[in-house]
Amino acid sequence: MTEVKKTYKHYVDGKFIRSESGKVYAIDLKKEKYEIPLTSKKDLRDAVTSSKAGFAKWNSLTMYNKSQILYRLSEMIEGNKESYIALLQQHGLTKNDSKNDVEDAVNTIIWYAGIVDKWEQLTGNLNPVAGEYFNISHQEPIGVTFSLSSDDISLNSLVKSFLPPMSVGCSVISFSNQNAVLALKLSEDINNSDFPSGSLNILTGNFENIVEDVGAHVEIRLAAIYSNISNDLLETLDVKGSDSVKRIVNLPSDEGLGSIIPFVETKTVWHPKGQ
Amino acid sequence: MNNWEYAESIESEKIVKIEKKYGHFINGEFVSPNSKKYLDTISPSSEEVLSSISIGNEKDVDFAVNAAKEGLKQWSKTPPSERSKYLFKLARLIQERSREFAVLESLDGGKPIKESRDFDLPQVAQNFFYYAGWADKIDLAWGSGISKPYGVVGQIIPWNFPLLMLSWKVAPALATGNTVVLKPAETTPLTALLFAELCDEVGLPKGVFNLITGDGTTGSELVNHKDIKKIAFTGSTSVGKYIQKSLAGRDVGLTLELGGKAANIVYNDAALDEAVEGVVNGIFFNQGHVCCAGSRLLVQEDIHDVFINKLEKRMQTLRVGNPLDKNTDIGAINSKDQLEKITDMVNEGVSDGGELFQIECELPKNGFWFKPSLFTGVQVNYKIATEEIFGPVLTTLTFRTPDEAVEIANNTEYGLSAGIWTEKGSKILWTADRLDAGVIWANTFNKFDPASPFGGYKESGFGREGGRHGLLSYLKASS
Repeated sequence: MTEVKKTYKHYVDGKFIRSESGKVYAIDLKKEKYEIPLTSKKDLRDAVTSSKAGFAKWNSLTMYNKSQILYRLSEMIEGNKESYIALLQQHGLTKNDSKNDVEDAVNTIIWYAGIVDKWEQLTGNLNPVAGEYFNISHQEPIGVTFSLSSDDISLNSLVKSFLPPMSVGCSVISFSNQNAVLALKLSEDINNSDFPSGSLNILTGNFENIVEDVGAHVEIRLAAIYSNISNDLLETLDVKGSDSVKRIVNLPSDEGLGSIIPFVETKTVWHPKGQ
Repeated sequence: MNNWEYAESIESEKIVKIEKKYGHFINGEFVSPNSKKYLDTISPSSEEVLSSISIGNEKDVDFAVNAAKEGLKQWSKTPPSERSKYLFKLARLIQERSREFAVLESLDGGKPIKESRDFDLPQVAQNFFYYAGWADKIDLAWGSGISKPYGVVGQIIPWNFPLLMLSWKVAPALATGNTVVLKPAETTPLTALLFAELCDEVGLPKGVFNLITGDGTTGSELVNHKDIKKIAFTGSTSVGKYIQKSLAGRDVGLTLELGGKAANIVYNDAALDEAVEGVVNGIFFNQGHVCCAGSRLLVQEDIHDVFINKLEKRMQTLRVGNPLDKNTDIGAINSKDQLEKITDMVNEGVSDGGELFQIECELPKNGFWFKPSLFTGVQVNYKIATEEIFGPVLTTLTFRTPDEAVEIANNTEYGLSAGIWTEKGSKILWTADRLDAGVIWANTFNKFDPASPFGGYKESGFGREGGRHGLLSYLKASS
């Protein structure tokens, strides 16, 4: 029987779609060559529109609810573990490395699922001001986040590029290049995990094609770069981003509390005490 | 209203000794500028020249940054508990000489002595005292993964709270183990120069604190110096964007504390007399030269007339005049440039169709002054309702529902601060959750404390100053 080959598409607003440009690029794996959608400027703008609505939906869920949705993603991956291992092997990893990577990814997701309803107890506090005031600093998600994932062929690296912003309530446009097949496969399990549409969008392509638009789009509040990009690209992103005082984080920490701090704003509220 | 006159009560200038000319403070001593260029710093309340300060050029900046690099070697070997003691000593010395600092601040910047004496200076000393105690507890603040200093830090501060902004920048930077090159604003350098003398007096190791004076070109040289590892800037959004652009592609840390156009929301169930006081304090404190000033009054439609009436009556009691008079509420506008900007914006507000109320008062002949002003009948798209005026000018807008109040409040690129006035607790929390602002004052306004983080959302900048969160601005995450 002829084997059926999967068509990989972008995942935007809870739907699997092709690039509006119709353009693709090739990723050659051991057995198969895949034609992957190449993100256009218009694709990015559409994804931002979706992410803006997705942010409102994702952020309005209780932390407990968000936590369960992230946990469900780990359950989905666990159920499809063998297919991820096979895909990683197709990328050239050994069976053992592939298995370890998928298990690491599941563990990473569970770590972030578990911190969703706790991080604010670690980053916020009452402030002992010198006066009769109630004064509290707590944190809010920055908002629509663009994340360029690492080019490592690793499910664990991939999830580490969107879990930190997601776990604090940001919506994320996750962008992949060399690990695109892996990212688009993951989008199927994301789709089965009850994420509100637009809270996590997955695009693939060449970052160079959209870097100026990522920098200039004022609705993208933060750009996190988990990949080693050239200095020229970084400079372009920074220059464009400076027009709207965009938060741009190059190679953020990918573990612990330090991994989520870039994605929050601190809000401090004062109120007098009295009778 | 009675018309009792206040007798003058002038704070003596004799307590301060101002040199005719100042060099930079680099490597523990005052040095003449390589540029050989100077600029005058004047008193904005009399236009009298107070002194000449050096204009730092590329070589001056290079000299200062190199001194800070050398200073870092010594400072990083200094045990944190010893760093702590230097800062405690500075706090004490500032307390002891606070009257002198307060008079100098009011002379050079134009702010009323009652503010420099009762607000700026106590906060400055407390800020050094607060961060002194953090120096040997950095690992406890955010965990050992976020505990390393940047190294040499460049700091650029504005003219509205000169010494207070110095303390917000210098105290946490030194506590976390960085060394500093600070550039004060060109119109208000004198208290920073006096602070440099104090660093010498407490025996702070050479090169740990360096001060370079000058104008925008000096600041630009500092930002572009190759050995700077972090820039901390407080000032206008346009300059902040320029700095962010200048640092593009460079591995240099950056925190920005920029402009604002804060909404001060007065609901119809607010305690109105208290709200009037809060609104007045929110906009007229420090002549409105405050980035977090409550410059947009959002008043619920059904109380508009009664509230504006109370507000105008209260405004009329404000006393404008000599900053050194202890009765003065509103001092001088900081510079001629700033006065022109305020005047232009207000004229534009009138020609757009805004209704202007200004208090009746006599302004001094010399110096730069602007009458406390209130606009009503304003549309949300007027420039006076969207752009930062940075002067004693309040713009009024109205709303009908809490949802509309939040929408108007957030309808700006800025996100520094906001105020909420209501007697209903749940409404405060509901509103505070929805406002895009880094600092929210509920039933109060313009309260500050070294333990309380300050900083903005959106184009009001990023990073926080003050509190445990302020340490993050001077620490790197190591993964």
